[in-house]
Amino acid sequence: MICPVCKKDMFVVEYKQIELDYCHSCKGVWFDAGELELLLEAGGLKEAKQTLGDVLKLPEARTSEKKRRCPICTINMKKVVIGGEKGVMIDACIRHDGLWFDGGEVADLIKIISAKATGKKETESEIMGFLKDVFGG
Amino acid sequence: MWEQIRANRVRSIILVILMGALLVLIGWIIGMVFAGNAIAGLVIALIVWGFMSLIAYFQGDSILLGVAGAKKIQPSDHPRLYNVVEEMKIASGLEKMPDVYIIDDPALNAFATGRDVNHASVAITSGLLQKLNRDELQGVIGHEISHIKNRDVLLMSMCGVLLGTIVILSFYASRVMMFGAIAGGGGNRRSSRNSNGGGGGAIIIFIIAILLMILAPIFAQLIYFAISRKREYLADASSALYTRYPEGLASALEKLAQSSIPVKSATQATAPMYIANPFRNKNVSVNDWTSTHPPIQERIRILRAMGGGAAYSNYDQAYRTIKNTNSGIISDNTAAAVGAVGLRAAVAEGPVETAAPVDDKMTRTREVNDMMYRMNDYKTIQCECGAKLKVPPSMQGGVIKCPRCGRTHQA
Repeated sequence: MICPVCKKDMFVVEYKQIELDYCHSCKGVWFDAGELELLLEAGGLKEAKQTLGDVLKLPEARTSEKKRRCPICTINMKKVVIGGEKGVMIDACIRHDGLWFDGGEVADLIKIISAKATGKKETESEIMGFLKDVFGG
Repeated sequence: MWEQIRANRVRSIILVILMGALLVLIGWIIGMVFAGNAIAGLVIALIVWGFMSLIAYFQGDSILLGVAGAKKIQPSDHPRLYNVVEEMKIASGLEKMPDVYIIDDPALNAFATGRDVNHASVAITSGLLQKLNRDELQGVIGHEISHIKNRDVLLMSMCGVLLGTIVILSFYASRVMMFGAIAGGGGNRRSSRNSNGGGGGAIIIFIIAILLMILAPIFAQLIYFAISRKREYLADASSALYTRYPEGLASALEKLAQSSIPVKSATQATAPMYIANPFRNKNVSVNDWTSTHPPIQERIRILRAMGGGAAYSNYDQAYRTIKNTNSGIISDNTAAAVGAVGLRAAVAEGPVETAAPVDDKMTRTREVNDMMYRMNDYKTIQCECGAKLKVPPSMQGGVIKCPRCGRTHQA
């Protein structure tokens, strides 16, 4: 897969049987829709299929950050803020192909999730928890 | 079985003759309009058709597989899939094992192609391979194998060529005629004072020709669809018979119905090749005479209404009940020849034929993805921290840092 930011080849990181595409130069991460589904189903969350739809229902974030194209369908992705009010802005493919986290965004997410007590099992915290598992080590 | 194939053949031959008549008509008109000689047009139409048919006959399967981006796999690449194809080959009584292809596409679909029973291929998308369990996969492969066994594959590709020829000829002829009419219209106006009314007969012929050019491809397409729809039911019935487990295919079709990802490489012409319409849209219920496939929900209902048996007679009975009709899809003689066939139980997925037990979707997904990586020359590095790094060929030779633990690896 080609990194939507650097346009270079990414490599694949598999952890606990879930795959992420990782860009070596910008540290960005692509979370594919199929893998999201696997993660959430393994976590016992039933509404896995809706997750991307829910993320896409969030309002378009106001930002000057450049639009990124989905590495799968090459259509411009939607920028949304996840993880609550002071959350992190990520890019979501409008055709439900997956989610893109810029290099810094993963680190920010991990900070947020460390600060918050995550008792409740929610899809967003499940996603962030997994990213923390992989990149927070 | 043979009787069924023959009955199908008669029905198909009538439809094919209809399509052939359309082609002749198109050639005739092209000859009349452009050369003033109907035979010349006929000859041109037949040459174009003959040429395209020859290509389709000898190269059709490789063109189709190439267009779909399919890659041939070996038994070691995906033992489970290969094993299922082998089982269905034996159950159907095919003599030669078809080639097995994978299409790297998250969409869910499969098709069969080839010129005859000894030169056949089965192709399946990686998405479908991930989503289906063993019983479902067997149902889908059974459906595809029966397209090969029932001789549908060559007929459909030849009909596709006939359709293609009609579409191409009438497309170009009508464009040229329109253009000629505009250019010639200007000339006529200038000379209209001299030859007023002289062109009346010619204009009528011209209008009829244009109308036919527009209608012929539509008719040809409808005939094509009629041929392909009938064959889908029969392939479903055969799949149930070969697997002795109609629920497998029913459940696979249900998964197909839920997904609305279109197949990337499908075109209108290749659509009838797939197990389910590759352009299906969740919000549109395609259920009319322009569909290449019977509605998927109806196919599921018929399979589930088969009651206690997997024989043709069970399918036929279910078909009549669901469709509320007296004319079945399978002739009585064929059904009688097969006799009664009982159902088998669902299989527990286990390590019977693969090294690793395939018991859930996660394992299946990793299995299929890893196969795609291997075929694309990715290199896998196992990091001590538990992460696996899969490196594309372009990055091999360099140093890769594990994003989880920071260890460096020589890729």
